[in-house]
Amino acid sequence: MTNENIVELKNITVTFDGEKILDRINLAIKDKEFVTLLGPSGCGKTTTLRVIAGFVSPTEGDILFDGKAVNHLPPHKRQVNTIFQRYALFPHLNVFENIAFGLRVKKVPEAEIKKQVTDMLKLVNLSGYEKRNIAKLSGGQQQRVAIARAIINRPKVLLLDEPLAALDLKLRKDMQVELKNIQKSLGITFIFVTHDQEEALSMSDTVVVMNEGVIQQIGTPQDIYNEPKNAFVADFIGESNILDGVMKEDFLTSFSGREFTCLDSGFARNERVDIVVRPEDVDIVPEKDAMLLGEVTSVTFLGVHYEIIVDIGGFKWMIQTTDEQKVGDKVGLYIEPDAIHVMKKSKYSGMYGDYSTFSDEIEHLSDLEEDEN
Amino acid sequence: MKHISRIYTALVMVFLYAPIAVMVVYSFNASRSTSVFGGFSLKWYAELLNDSSTIEALENTLVLAVLSSLVATVLGTLSAVGIFSMKKKWAKTAAMTVTNIPMMNPDIVTGISLMLLFVFVGQMVGSKNSLGFGTMLIAHITFNLPYVILSVLPKLRQTDHHLAEAAQDLGCTPFMAFFKVILPSIMPGVFSGLMMAFTLSLDDFVISYFTTGPDFQTLPIKIFSMTKRRVTPDMYALSTLIFLSVLLLLILSNVAQARSEKRREGAKA
Ligand SMILES: Nc1ncnc2c1ncn2[C@@H]1O[C@H](COP(=O)(O)OP(=O)(O)OP(=O)(O)O)[C@@H](O)[C@H]1O
Ligand SMILES: [Mg+2]
Repeated sequence: MTNENIVELKNITVTFDGEKILDRINLAIKDKEFVTLLGPSGCGKTTTLRVIAGFVSPTEGDILFDGKAVNHLPPHKRQVNTIFQRYALFPHLNVFENIAFGLRVKKVPEAEIKKQVTDMLKLVNLSGYEKRNIAKLSGGQQQRVAIARAIINRPKVLLLDEPLAALDLKLRKDMQVELKNIQKSLGITFIFVTHDQEEALSMSDTVVVMNEGVIQQIGTPQDIYNEPKNAFVADFIGESNILDGVMKEDFLTSFSGREFTCLDSGFARNERVDIVVRPEDVDIVPEKDAMLLGEVTSVTFLGVHYEIIVDIGGFKWMIQTTDEQKVGDKVGLYIEPDAIHVMKKSKYSGMYGDYSTFSDEIEHLSDLEEDEN
Repeated sequence: MKHISRIYTALVMVFLYAPIAVMVVYSFNASRSTSVFGGFSLKWYAELLNDSSTIEALENTLVLAVLSSLVATVLGTLSAVGIFSMKKKWAKTAAMTVTNIPMMNPDIVTGISLMLLFVFVGQMVGSKNSLGFGTMLIAHITFNLPYVILSVLPKLRQTDHHLAEAAQDLGCTPFMAFFKVILPSIMPGVFSGLMMAFTLSLDDFVISYFTTGPDFQTLPIKIFSMTKRRVTPDMYALSTLIFLSVLLLLILSNVAQARSEKRREGAKA
């Protein structure tokens, strides 16, 4: 019972050219778990996978498989398979041979190879494509070949490095469902990398949020969304208004110039804290019932709802509402106690969650930058 | 304008190929004269085949070209892989410069310096006659190496470096990964390196001249020594044969290249 963890990272630190790329990563992954590493570009997600696969040896710390340290085990001896960020299919081999590669290395008898590859092609919906040239496949089909090539080896752990990043939205949604099904039916542990928070929340059992080589939070998708540990996590996972506040006493906090009842406790008296309020949790009410009063400074129609920016005493809130508002309108806001989430101050305090510089263009630009990487 | 460029092209063709055409025609000349065409005959070809020293020189040349190009290809490919995987930039640049210098160096300098080295080492081991097939083989491998390295390196750069990792991930040792995925991917470069090494070795005269001994002659050396006397038309026949072989080799390698390019093109689409 001591070890139900199939993979464990203990204090993993990786340094390249004197620069810390990973800083004391501690992570325990259970058998058959779907774990997602989530974080912005360059935060060390790929490096973490490469440490597990054996392509990078950590400067410090231990990697354990089934409780045994494997630091010095070369990649070809590790019980994991990887789906690489750009698939890395073998261009000189056809679909069949790509998928058969791992079995051929293991010298599996020819008849067995034929049977297993045929089954695998069926599983990933590519029956009849055996003889195809890899290059003549669409992105989605290449993706499936990459999946088949990895899982035919029945790894206990599958590492997936942004496997869906190159696909268009529709295909991506379909593949998310397919991957999840494959994971469930074969009972393989998935360690999945993405910088798309929606993908992470919808697919995973456990989400690991990383930034600058440090794990910010580990938890279920609900935990991560509802109880972010710090301003970085709150901001990276969905939209949030993050305010400077004070915890007066248990269940009572103050921000934006007034006191609110909340559900959080366990802070010191008058401890300074960060307050998170999600845009969808703010209600617009008549002024007489309002907790806060503000003025609408921008309105964006997004189909399901409007996204409006409301100025309250100089701080710009983002609020999602289905009622139409006009720029310049005075509105009253109401916040339920369970909509308020209190976080300890961190080094990210004050860096995120204020929409005063908000503009769609800037969001768009930073998205483009991410895509290039 | 169009006419001018056509005429120009025609002229270039004439200048390039007229000498060869004349040589081919005279190799079939029944008479010995270089001015009169005395009728069609294959007698020079027959004479050539009966001349055992020429045949031996031809054999020597081929053996040398095959051996030296094969060895140079293996060594050159390995060096290219080594240079490519160097981590430090300055080391890489240094290695490339060292590779390039022998190519820029005039053949005569390479030839003389190699000869000196061979004679020097030969004297140290106490052998009187150190120059011969062995030294010539070493010399040919030496001057072929940079060409192989230079034709393999770009292919390595084009190869997705994740391929080797993918192979290891699927259970290959690094060594197996090289043979199973890297080598197939750089094969066109290795092949063109081999071709280049083969032809260079085939027609090298200057370096061979300095590094061979009296009992090992290659065709270029033999032809040169014969021109000191009177050139006989059987040399035309020989040169014609060599020209045709090179032509054939060129066509073959072009076809191979086109094929692999087609496959690569398919790979990108
Ligand atoms: N071999 C290397 N040598 C030096 N620095 C490296 C090396 N590999 C990665 N890095 C650096 O490590 C940092 C983390 O890289 P990593 O590839 O793990 O990021 P990532 O989270 O996977 O990003 P992305 O989402 O863009 O793939 C980056 O700053 C990168 O420049
Ligand atoms: Mg990455």
